[in-house]
Amino acid sequence: MSSIAPGNSAEVVMQSFLDRGFTHFTGVPCSLLKGLFRILESPQCPARYLPAPREDTAVGVASGLTLAGSKAVVLMQNSGLGYSLNVLTSFTLIYDVHLPLVVSWRGHDGNDAVEHDVIGRELTHLLDVFDLPWTVLDPQAPQQSVDAFLKQHDGGRRTAVLIVKEGV
Amino acid sequence: MLDIRDAIKAVQAREPSALYVTTCGYITRDVYNIADRENNFYLVGSMGMAGPIGLGVALADVARRVVVLDGDGSFAMNLGCLPMIAEHRPDLVHVVLDNGAHESTGGQRTAALGDPAALALAAGYAAACTVDSLEELAALDLTHTPALVHIRCLPRTHKAGDRVALTPQELVSRFRAGLGAPAHA
Repeated sequence: MSSIAPGNSAEVVMQSFLDRGFTHFTGVPCSLLKGLFRILESPQCPARYLPAPREDTAVGVASGLTLAGSKAVVLMQNSGLGYSLNVLTSFTLIYDVHLPLVVSWRGHDGNDAVEHDVIGRELTHLLDVFDLPWTVLDPQAPQQSVDAFLKQHDGGRRTAVLIVKEGV
Repeated sequence: MLDIRDAIKAVQAREPSALYVTTCGYITRDVYNIADRENNFYLVGSMGMAGPIGLGVALADVARRVVVLDGDGSFAMNLGCLPMIAEHRPDLVHVVLDNGAHESTGGQRTAALGDPAALALAAGYAAACTVDSLEELAALDLTHTPALVHIRCLPRTHKAGDRVALTPQELVSRFRAGLGAPAHA
């Protein structure tokens, strides 16, 4: 696989996935994740990007890939976590087919568009309720954040969440 | 219209070496009780996810055909995945076993379904058709995929079979073992 020039957080995140052999990415975009989607949509990107119509379908597709031996990542806005809760609780967490999730955090400071207020306020609580370990991406130290998050993913033994609070 | 078990057996007879992903409820239980095999991957929950999970399996370079056994209710729950499945041209046969009812919850009628074969073609599937008999099912050309086969079935008259006795983790382990995939991908 060719590598991506180092630099901003999006490149660090993506390169970390590629270095660990992740080959497939699926999800639904968020403005806070647009740097990641820009890389995924670029012709040079060595990974395969599979745009999904809804976040639970993305989790389903990534689960099938992982079940069958490929390594897949799901990206979504925190609003999509609601749609995904059924597949996370009635597939991911009971079959132990675990995924790395990259989830944006709209509404984290209570000062975003109103539709993000409730999920923004409750995001980390929701993850804690379902015992999904999470790490907030620190733009000053993206590599350390990604390493901590991938350690939580534990080589596929946990569904861990990388929370992106500031746009990448 | 077919007995749903006869429809399942006829699909299995046509596609004996395929990988199967079965939707939750009585379809998983029927498939399990007809013939439990390591290439069957049973969903016990996640209604609407048989299609997406089947797509993921098909895209994982397994060099095997994937058959998704969906119900009318679970198909109706996630029509949104059809164009995504079509886009990637997987070797996938999407079977909709349609008896017009949510049988495992008491036989309530399902939401309006439209014409599943027409929906699949509009979404970009390479082939799609509706069949009512074993003869029509046997005569289908499933060369071009993804293909959707809508099978009109009768309401069940048989008792639901046993629940899947394997744990979800055991289902994953044996499916992966059958593929030669690592325990932790």
